[in-house]
Amino acid sequence: MVIGKIVKSDSHINYVCQIFGPREVDIVPRPADYAFGRFVRVAIRAGEYDESMPFKQLLGSSSEPVTYAVGVIYDTILQNPAYGTLGPRLSNEAQLELFSPDYISEKAVLIYVIILGTMEEQQNADGSVTVLSASHGIPPLSLELDSEIETMNDEEVRAFHFFRDPDRPDQPEPYLQMGYLPHIIAQRSNLLPMVVLRIIDQLERLFPHNLALLSIVKRNFAWRLKVETTG
Amino acid sequence: MLVDPGQTTRTQLPTPVGITKGPGESIHEYTFVSRDDFQILKNGEYVYYELDSPRAASHNGSTPARRRVLGRIIKRVPLRLYPDTFLGEPEIAPDQVAAMVGYHSRTNELFELHVAIMGYYDPATESFINPWIPPQSGKQIFLADDAMLTEVLSRKKHHEPGSATIGSLLTREPNAVPIVLSVKDVVSTHMAIIASTGAGKSYLASVFIEELMQPHNKACVLIIDPHGEYSTLDQIANEPSFSESGNFGPGYRPTVHVYKHDEIKVRLSTLQMGDMRALLPEMTEKQQYLLNRALQKLRSRKGDTPWSVADLKAAIKGSARQKEDEESEGADDSSTVHALTWRIEQRFEQSMTFDDSLHLDLREIFKPGQCTVLQLNEIDERDQQVIVATLLRRLYHARMDTERGKVHSGESYLPYPVFVLIEEAHHFAPGGAEVVSTSILKQVLAEGRKFGIGVGIISQRPGKLDADVLSQCQTQCIMRIVNEIDQKSVAAAIEGVGRDLLHNLPALSKGQVIVAGSAVNTPVICRVRQRITPHGGESKDAPEMWQQYFSNENQARLRREEAPLTNNQGFQFFR
Repeated sequence: MVIGKIVKSDSHINYVCQIFGPREVDIVPRPADYAFGRFVRVAIRAGEYDESMPFKQLLGSSSEPVTYAVGVIYDTILQNPAYGTLGPRLSNEAQLELFSPDYISEKAVLIYVIILGTMEEQQNADGSVTVLSASHGIPPLSLELDSEIETMNDEEVRAFHFFRDPDRPDQPEPYLQMGYLPHIIAQRSNLLPMVVLRIIDQLERLFPHNLALLSIVKRNFAWRLKVETTG
Repeated sequence: MLVDPGQTTRTQLPTPVGITKGPGESIHEYTFVSRDDFQILKNGEYVYYELDSPRAASHNGSTPARRRVLGRIIKRVPLRLYPDTFLGEPEIAPDQVAAMVGYHSRTNELFELHVAIMGYYDPATESFINPWIPPQSGKQIFLADDAMLTEVLSRKKHHEPGSATIGSLLTREPNAVPIVLSVKDVVSTHMAIIASTGAGKSYLASVFIEELMQPHNKACVLIIDPHGEYSTLDQIANEPSFSESGNFGPGYRPTVHVYKHDEIKVRLSTLQMGDMRALLPEMTEKQQYLLNRALQKLRSRKGDTPWSVADLKAAIKGSARQKEDEESEGADDSSTVHALTWRIEQRFEQSMTFDDSLHLDLREIFKPGQCTVLQLNEIDERDQQVIVATLLRRLYHARMDTERGKVHSGESYLPYPVFVLIEEAHHFAPGGAEVVSTSILKQVLAEGRKFGIGVGIISQRPGKLDADVLSQCQTQCIMRIVNEIDQKSVAAAIEGVGRDLLHNLPALSKGQVIVAGSAVNTPVICRVRQRITPHGGESKDAPEMWQQYFSNENQARLRREEAPLTNNQGFQFFR
């Protein structure tokens, strides 16, 4: 589900997205769709721009693989340009819509997304989707302004975390990966460690067989965040 | 690329195992860093770096000669360890966690290895010469191959005349690098075998004796065996590998003579005043004075001819009378004479060990190609000390007189060096107490080199051994020692270069020995080889023997023995 678009970036991997408001899209995103710690993705345009591409994808007629940058929401800002304008208004709340239709659009919900890796998908003829590959780390290509950002369902999140590492011929079986952890930790934001805990909570739900493995990372983060900071 | 350096060194150019990091903690140490993918850089392993020798290059103008500076790994410090938190789940391997966060753990290990520099081997002086400078940072480090170690660690080659192969280097495959002692150095500068009980002292000693009796040594060996552990060495005589066919005559076949306790005699006339004091403890001053006079008198009268207990008693009585003549004012000596002669009768007339005329003939017990075992078990400890003291004294004088050309025939003529192995040496030279054998043992150790008497001492309590005795032994074979006092006394006696090896003492297993001193080029940790003859010093299997007691056969036998008729009670009844 598309929830917003990229409006700004702070770095190669930190993007600010604006959540679509009423009348911008058919289905207005609910706060649960852009919750803290939610996995999102943005399609990366690698080659020449093909105007028909979104259409084809929409119709399910494209068989070209699409590469997505996968990220996670780690901060939310409620933007209100009217804040601080303390003078009296002539119109009340109900009249605003009629007399200043542009006012509402200036209120916005901004989310901060950190990019964790990429995944490549291909749409099959029957409409189902095959995940071709996934990788963790910093994608070489930058995202574009106004690119649409969409939420990921459980199946996609699972595919993004459970794959075979092509660099390890000794390990042909897919396994649970969180290769983005080192670069999350390297970021400066105070909220990112909390995001890691949220991610692990989600992964615990998705990978019940790997609880012990996840608990090692989880305990480590929980200790540092909860015990060491308050102790 | 992963190449096992241990596999390639023999066939191709050596593969480096690491790169020098810098100087180590002390001036003769350096450190290097290695991944050690094959776990070959064990503690105690030998590595080398190459050093260009500018002097050698300038002489002949060709490519500079390369010297291999050998060193021994003394410490292994991991540089990269998994965080403690990765080790929190016992069923999850830490590399699985590392893989999850995107780290390929195949080559994650990295070690800093501390190396004690031994130096480059100089064949001319048969020693290692320290370059007095640590290697430059960035120099390649190689693992010393088996052939190189075989060449430089031991002074002699395997099976060469004068060699004793006691085993092989512990850090390598069995028999890959033989450890060969130089028999010449052992015999001239003595040897000590020190270990806790059960570590394999007598096994190692037997291996060494086997080597001495091999055709390439044909040694003359005496073993003082207070526990009767060496009787199985008599198999040497039957073992074909010890024989050698000669070009002329019957060839070489070693002989082993085992003297049981009842065959070991000490001739009374060889006893000196010190021996008497030990045998007749707590004599009064007057008794000592009388006895001393009597001994002097006998010696002046009889010379080297043996005298008997009766002669000694007569001499005591004679001395006493003379004394009365000289000092008529003095008290009567008759009670002292009586007491002394009574003690001498008690001590010597019934003794199995002391005899008026018989004793061990030096020419019988010392022969090249012969190993003589004196089994002193069942002999009182004080008598054992006197036996050893008189024998060593006679040996010392015989060798001294022969070397100085004073004798040319007879019992005291011993024209060949001998090697004496003394088991339980702390009985014969205990620390802190002077016993009758201490002084002669010290004398032999200090001066035996001049006269060709080599001594090997074996002890399980170096702390109880006289410190001078231990320090005189220039070749040390140290096996597992757990007791701290014993470790310290060994550390005090051993030469400085091998002291870092001593930290390994409690970690040694049975049959592993640190050999240091003059018989090897550098201290080494050695795995003792298999004995050719069966071992006689094994511990008793007590539970097994208790089980045997209750076996059906034994119970039947016991019932038979304890039956009333065996005491002939029935017969008595009829009588």
